[in-house]
Amino acid sequence: MTADTFITPNERALSGALALVTHALFFALLVFGVSWQKREQAAMVAELWTSLPPMSAPQPEPEVKPQPEPPPPPPKAEAKPVPKAEPVPAPKADIALKDKKDKQRKAQELAEKKKQQEQARVAEQARAAEAQRLAREQDEALKKIAAQQASERAKMVDEYKRRIAERVKRYIIEPPNLQGNPEVELDIVVLPGGEVLDVRTRKASAATAWDNAVERAIRRAQPLPLPPDPALAKEFRELNLKFRPKE
Amino acid sequence: MNPTVTHDMSVISLITGASVLVQLVMLVLLLASMFSWYYIFLKIFTFKRANRLADQFEKEFWSGADLNELFQRAVNARNSAGTLERIFEAGFREFAKLKKQPDMGAGMVMEGTRRAMRATYQREMERLEAYLSFLATVGSVSPYVGLFGTVWGIMNSFRGLANMAQATLGAVAPGIAEALIATAIGLFAAIPAVVAYNRFAGDINKLATRFDSFMEEFSNILQRQGQ
Repeated sequence: MTADTFITPNERALSGALALVTHALFFALLVFGVSWQKREQAAMVAELWTSLPPMSAPQPEPEVKPQPEPPPPPPKAEAKPVPKAEPVPAPKADIALKDKKDKQRKAQELAEKKKQQEQARVAEQARAAEAQRLAREQDEALKKIAAQQASERAKMVDEYKRRIAERVKRYIIEPPNLQGNPEVELDIVVLPGGEVLDVRTRKASAATAWDNAVERAIRRAQPLPLPPDPALAKEFRELNLKFRPKE
Repeated sequence: MNPTVTHDMSVISLITGASVLVQLVMLVLLLASMFSWYYIFLKIFTFKRANRLADQFEKEFWSGADLNELFQRAVNARNSAGTLERIFEAGFREFAKLKKQPDMGAGMVMEGTRRAMRATYQREMERLEAYLSFLATVGSVSPYVGLFGTVWGIMNSFRGLANMAQATLGAVAPGIAEALIATAIGLFAAIPAVVAYNRFAGDINKLATRFDSFMEEFSNILQRQGQ
């Protein structure tokens, strides 16, 4: 038919290939050329602190004390000579002599065995004592580490509380004609992102203007600086802070 | 610096993370885009050659070649003939046939010739216009299809939001981004299709006027010959 003039098979193949190339090109452009995560913006917010606590408390590796190995089975079993006397096919004349010899030997063996048992017992006692000592030491070390961690955590919590208070203070616009040094105590409910969900006045001060100023400042200070460690962040769900104009 | 950005927003993850229906919409749009680009390239080639062949034939025709000779050549090179050549061939054949009939007036001969040329012209135009309606459809419909995918994705995103205790922007944003990809793909399919359709429609108009004027001129020549 005359359709050949309009479309040749060559052109069909070429068109298909070109269409594919076009799409591949656009797709590549989209995947490699567009990065929607611009992290530089996060870096624009800078806060300066005079004393920076380590971002994450260096977790002291609990030293792995050499576990007291289970005491090896007392060597009794091995040392025990096989007391099985071979059947003696000796002639009768030798029997008396043999009996005597046997008795002697048996006594000797008994004594030896006793000695060995004694030795094993002493060794075992020593080992047990050693094991106890080691366990005690390990316990103490662990306790010490736990205490250290707890104190470090407490320090971090304090530090971040200080930071939050510091940040809020920056936003406080002190009302004029403030009398004295009123102290307001507030409960703040904080979301994990640092947003303030709720601010409640636990203990109002004498100056309502000051209370309101502090509350406004807390709202404006969002997001509050929270520790990045999620274990610590748990303690920042509800905060109790006190503010006074002069400190 | 808080590690708040937890969602991977690369294009691939946006596509793979979408719901099944949205993915289906994307697939349909991708196919539409594929085919529309295929036809775009096909049409580009077709029009290029149609123009080239028309130029060639017009040059030969107006260089004063013998009409019988041209007709012979057109008949021989049927498969590689351009539109103008076909129109010329159909017209000349009809003219020669009608002229042989004794009881035909000049007006009737010319009318038959014109009809024959007109029929060929229509057939050729139809062939030139093939697939253009597909481009027009893709251009007008695919944005809506994409929009449908987006609306569906956003609906799902909000439904998921209803189950959450805290309605944060971070919970909705990825879903909406995923959904919007569908609209993006729809537009990606539609824009080239619309541009190409307009371009090709213009090309066809130009070719049509060219063929039309050739038909008129050729009729004049034949009329002069017939008298």
